[in-house]
Amino acid sequence: MKKLTLFLMGLALCMQAFAIMPGDDGDRLLGVWEPSNGRARVKVEKIGSKYYGKIVWLKEPNDPKSGLPKTDMNNPDANLRNVPLKGYRMLKDFVYQENNQWSEGTIYDPLNGSTYSCTIKMTDPNTLDIRGYIGVSAFGRTDVWKRLAVKK
Amino acid sequence: MNNPFKPCWKTILLILGCWAIAFVSQAQNTDSTKQESSSDEDFSMYDNVGFADEGARRYCSPKIEGLSPAKLISVGYDFQAGYGLGVDTFTNYTNTWEPDSARVLNSRGLRLGFNIPVISRTNLVWQMGANYWEQRYFMEDPDGSELKTAQNLLQTLSENGLRTLGVSTTVFKPLDDKRFLLFQGSADLNGDFSPLGLMPLKYLKYSAALVYGLRPNEKKQWGLGLARTYRVGELNYIPVFLFNWTDPANKWGTEILFPARAHVRYTINPRNMLFGGFELEGQSYRLWNTNGTPVKFRDEDLEIRRGEIRLRALYEFSLKDFVWLSVQAGYRINYRYEVDRLVDGQEIYRAFGLLSDAPYVMENRLGNPLYFQISLNLVSP
Repeated sequence: MKKLTLFLMGLALCMQAFAIMPGDDGDRLLGVWEPSNGRARVKVEKIGSKYYGKIVWLKEPNDPKSGLPKTDMNNPDANLRNVPLKGYRMLKDFVYQENNQWSEGTIYDPLNGSTYSCTIKMTDPNTLDIRGYIGVSAFGRTDVWKRLAVKK
Repeated sequence: MNNPFKPCWKTILLILGCWAIAFVSQAQNTDSTKQESSSDEDFSMYDNVGFADEGARRYCSPKIEGLSPAKLISVGYDFQAGYGLGVDTFTNYTNTWEPDSARVLNSRGLRLGFNIPVISRTNLVWQMGANYWEQRYFMEDPDGSELKTAQNLLQTLSENGLRTLGVSTTVFKPLDDKRFLLFQGSADLNGDFSPLGLMPLKYLKYSAALVYGLRPNEKKQWGLGLARTYRVGELNYIPVFLFNWTDPANKWGTEILFPARAHVRYTINPRNMLFGGFELEGQSYRLWNTNGTPVKFRDEDLEIRRGEIRLRALYEFSLKDFVWLSVQAGYRINYRYEVDRLVDGQEIYRAFGLLSDAPYVMENRLGNPLYFQISLNLVSP
């Protein structure tokens, strides 16, 4: 009986663990990335089965007028304008498809407060094509992000 | 004998407990799309990082912070209020037509523009575009009666108006994180053709500009270059100066590609922008349509060299998300509206009179009206 109990417990924990276990193909997206403009660094994390990216570094961290840390001052929702940009989730809800592509997500541009539909394609282990678009992919723009690593 | 499958409540509860802990753990995670507080996170660890691929390079972006958004699709309407139009004597190989004049009640027309990014990479950005502009003239005689002119230029303008149908391309090539090359090229059919009766492609006019620029920081880019242009009506090769700049507070800025256009920008917020400045507009329009004119201009190799300066104020704002409305009003100053004869299609390059003093076939006079333009735009990410 004890063996059966241990087996069932182990099975339950293993099944749950697989759902969040690193090592999925999609987990290649995890890490810290830099958009082409070099203004920010974005850390991609996995939450549940989806991928999210938050701003962890800003080239210009403080507002030049107030000298205080930058907030999401261009957000169309006035209630969110005091949220600090550092820690802000600008990539949301990405689901890994196949062939190194993630879709169904959105990207937020803090410079104008707009949220775009977005797909991500990993062209090599250290490079992402991030395509933000409006409605259909043709009406969009691709930005190339590079993977960052701790300097030796 | 003990039945190994006899329900054991302790076991079931233990398993259910494990499931519950795991489920709650995951449920908490999947609810984390909300913005999280950053106050308790140490971000300093991200200061000392570099490209994982040590061979990777940084390139400068085609845009700067605070620049007005690029338009992917634009549907607009241009309206010029009334003005006088006087046309010169016209002589062809057999006849002479005396000067005449008309009152233009208004001139107006549709303006459509499309721009699609073809390649959008860090080290190369390439866009293709297309545009259709029309200007229809609504005229009467100077005494207010119905237009009764024998002047063929007035007749074809009144009957057919002027149109431009063209394609364009823009290539931005960053050389490194500070220097870039910008190329713009276009091929346009300009003339008095009707939308259903296009002119032959041999009448295409080609314009181009190449700029070498610097982008020293996120809020400034400038450059110098050379353009082949018809913006002053006739062909010219002129230097161009690019200067886009935004102040540290993201309120004031400039968007200048001189001499084509120059504007001062005031940003109310990133979705509301005001501009003041000018745009130089113009093209060389082939007189080709035989509709409504007894003289077949098609056989005369004539082109209207139209150039105008538009002093203007612009207000651009987001109606909803990526749909922007652009409203502009100003004063249209005529720079040139002369007619040239291009025998066998040979261009006349005067270089502002330095290289040639070839006379125009007709030297016309236009009044300077107020104008108004409105457009609905889908703007780029």
